[in-house]
This record gives sequence, C-alpha cells and structure tokens, in this order.
Amino acid sequence: MVKPNEDQVLVTIPCHPRYLSVARLLVGGIGAQAGLSIDDVDDMKVAVSEAITNVMDHAYGGELTGSVVLRYRPAPGELTVEVEDTGAGFDPAKIPTHAPPAPGIEGGLGLYLVKELSDSFKVESAPGSGTKITITKKHHA
Amino acid sequence: MKVSARNEEWLVVVEVAGELDAATAPALRAILDEQIHQGARWLLVDLQAVDLIASVGVGELIRSVNELNSLGGDLAVICRRPNVLRVFEISGTGELLHVRQAEAEARAALEQARQRQQSQCARAGGEDHGQA
Repeated sequence: MVKPNEDQVLVTIPCHPRYLSVARLLVGGIGAQAGLSIDDVDDMKVAVSEAITNVMDHAYGGELTGSVVLRYRPAPGELTVEVEDTGAGFDPAKIPTHAPPAPGIEGGLGLYLVKELSDSFKVESAPGSGTKITITKKHHA
Repeated sequence: MKVSARNEEWLVVVEVAGELDAATAPALRAILDEQIHQGARWLLVDLQAVDLIASVGVGELIRSVNELNSLGGDLAVICRRPNVLRVFEISGTGELLHVRQAEAEARAALEQARQRQQSQCARAGGEDHGQA
C-alpha cells in the first residue's frame, strides 16, 4: 500500500519498444533528483530497459499488446523501479542470472545484466499471474 | 539512432550513434546483414557515438560475428563510453567482438584476424596442392 505522501511516479506504457526511451527519460530525471551519479543513472537505464524488454519478449506471448506498469520510487541516495505486467508469468527459478551466457550465444543476457548493474533485484512471478521485477540502484561515489 | 556504412579498402566501417535497444537494434541488424550479404567480411563497428547499449544490441553483434566467422571474416568494435564498455565487460563478449577503446587498436585487431585467416587459407591451399 502506498502512503499518500510517499514519493512515487506511476506510469503505464504500451508494451512496445518505442516506449523504452520514455521509461529511460524518467530514470534520468528521477534518478538525478534522488542523488544518483551519472554512472548510476546510466546503469539503471540499461537495467530498466532490460526488465521492460523481458516483458515484451515473454509476458504476452511475444505479441506487442498489453501494457507495462512502471513505479519509480526515489529515496535519498537511491532509486527503486518496479516493472510489472499482467501477462503469462514464469517460474523465476528457471531464469539463469548467476552467470552470463557463453560468449558466442545470442540472447539470455537481459536479466543477468539487470542483476549485475543494480544493487538489488527481485523477480516475483508465477505462471499465469504476471510478473513484477523490482530493481534498486544506490548512489556510488 | 543513426547507422551508416562506408567502404574502406578491405573493410567496411559501420558507424552507429544514439541508443541501441530493442527499438533500434533492427536497424543495426538490417545494415549488418546488408553488408555481409553484399560480400563484406571485415567489419569495423564504431560505437563511439552510442550512449547506451542493451543486451539486444550485444546480441546483434554476436549474431553478426558468428556469421562472419563462418564465412572466414570477423568484426571489431570501437567503444569509449564507460557505461557501454561495462555492458560488454559484464556480458563477457569483449574478446569475441574485439572491443577496443582506440580506433587504431580495433583496426589492428581486425588486421591481425585477417592475417590469421590468410595464413590459414595459404596453409589449406598448400595442403591441397600437396595432396594433388
């Protein structure tokens, strides 16, 4: 439950790649307000892009339909972004995030990048009940 | 994102500018495919003006280097921005894609790959000749 005075920016975007840049613009603006460095913001932009792209690839059967809900929660020195869909969902245990794919393999890199570029990363999902990916980036001097 | 290609003696330089994500990667794929299908075997991909690269952009480069390697060619990447270099580092693709910060180093990596390929071809030719 969101408290009435809690800093939060809530945006719903269509499930289409052309809105990735919109999501990143908000990371830049809100991340700077939260005190993240340029490098932190750059990392968070990629992490959020990967989470949304994961939704586009998997949530709605690969079709560019449906929508993605983005919640930006700034706090002093950190930014948390939640990426949520109401699509197919999946078993998070089946997503390999402990190591990158072998160098010559295309694909399978997205959520590993999210993990490596963020300070914390959580996937809540189950088949048939949508997915919520929560990413937090803290200020690094 | 802007992407363009120009011929330079034995190689093709592909210049990319802007953000390389799921929205823009198809344009990169199209120009890389076009160059390879037109006969280019040595590609220098200049990402110095790229502000951000997502995994799909790395995937397009992997796809192209795999195809080039199967055809006896290769590619090298020029990249200076720390956030873009970080993605290559995390993905473990820096050596496969010959990612270099200096253009001269990227060109040298591609030239070395070409010389290796020519040596292999010469050896294979010699072996064929010996068997004939």
